[in-house]
Amino acid sequence: MIIDVHGHWGPWFFSTHVADAAANLRVMDRCGIDVQLVSAVEAVVYDPLTGNPALVPVLRAAGPRLRGLLVVDPRDLSLAARQLDELLPTGLFVGAKIHTHYAGSPGGSAAMADALALLASRDLPVLVHTWGDELVGLADVVARVDGVRVVAAHLGGPAWQLTPSAAERTDRLWFEPCWSTPAAGRIRWVLDRVGPQRLMFGSDSTLIHPAVTLGAVRAAGLSAAEEELVMWRNATEVFRL
Amino acid sequence: MILDCDLLIGRDIAVGTRVDGAALAGGLAGLGIGGGLVTSLRALLFDAPSGNDEARLVAAEHGWQPVAGVDLRDPLTALAEVARAAELGVRAVRLAPGRQGVPATAPGLRAVARAAASAGLLLLAEGDVRVVGPVLAGLGATVVFLDAHFYHLGDFVLLAGDEPGFHASTRLLGDVDGWELVCAWAGAERLVFGSRPGWFEAAAVVDRLAAADLTAPQRDLVTGGNLRRLLGPEVTT
Repeated sequence: MIIDVHGHWGPWFFSTHVADAAANLRVMDRCGIDVQLVSAVEAVVYDPLTGNPALVPVLRAAGPRLRGLLVVDPRDLSLAARQLDELLPTGLFVGAKIHTHYAGSPGGSAAMADALALLASRDLPVLVHTWGDELVGLADVVARVDGVRVVAAHLGGPAWQLTPSAAERTDRLWFEPCWSTPAAGRIRWVLDRVGPQRLMFGSDSTLIHPAVTLGAVRAAGLSAAEEELVMWRNATEVFRL
Repeated sequence: MILDCDLLIGRDIAVGTRVDGAALAGGLAGLGIGGGLVTSLRALLFDAPSGNDEARLVAAEHGWQPVAGVDLRDPLTALAEVARAAELGVRAVRLAPGRQGVPATAPGLRAVARAAASAGLLLLAEGDVRVVGPVLAGLGATVVFLDAHFYHLGDFVLLAGDEPGFHASTRLLGDVDGWELVCAWAGAERLVFGSRPGWFEAAAVVDRLAAADLTAPQRDLVTGGNLRRLLGPEVTT
């Protein structure tokens, strides 16, 4: 059983041909991924106003293997609140997605705190892109927002060695390791310091092939107990799948 | 067994870790990598002549092929190292301008590349392919871009269309269809397996290979055939 908490649907602006949800499913089949949580690329890199609703028919057509992440731009929480009201009742969305870079809202910012408070009020977990030392800033914000459940995507990228420092600030922050340039031994290093209850698999497909992060996980040599937690159980609990 | 164009030994001051030849060899076995081209970080970061001597020794010990690392902060010594490499029968030169804080526009980079190309040596080039690629164009050089990222795949394809000697390493082409698109648009003969084991999570590249939609002949080219061709018929790997 594999649950991928970090997926995307839709065309990318790079030289790649993955716009159709069939690409998600094809690669999931190839890699043994059962369920993937996806956000609309359009909503992440351009506009949630049009991107989030565009995902609805895709999720309906794909069935339960693709579950939605509603993209929230912390700079436009009135839109976010409206879309949460409109789209959560569809039952197609199991969480939210915030991209700190595209949305110009670093992990430790006041805007992030406001966005997380909104999502906590809806009891919706959120996958947050993290890059660099904003990973620790995000952890401090999570600790201050009652009830919010956050998954830090990418382990902060090149700042992955800050993961233990972030983990010790709050127990409502989990970590997801996908990265297109993974350093050797990174996942085992993190696991040994934060424990398998705090890590869950994500791929960043269809941007990154899931085989990349699956290979990095394989290199970490997970025990059976670790594998169960990392590859699906933590995700089912945090996202209530 | 796979041949890897991107083997490194030594200490990387940026991350503070060391990988010697024995440790690297131990790691390769579990990855299904049989060997490849090895460069010394000592050559790239401290002293090229002694580092390149180290690379030749380690390569001979493990049945790999040595690469001459050059330090572009001292382009005069770099040119001398290219000449020495050619005299010693070394078949490749590694350029690492980013590690050395040298801009791709530095005159030394193109001078070293020209010298290597004139000597018939393969170039292994670190750095952003959009920046380093144009600098190496027009020299008739044979190059493997070690840091070609899928973000820049379209630019690599454009460069490769003009430069028959340009190749991409697989290491950072880890998107959903990057390997396949390079094969479709530039040809499978332009893709060379590289994973930088010990420094990069090489299993990620090995697993991407396993998931690749390549024909058997394409796979053979990527995992060894292309590198053998680039090194020349007199080199055995």
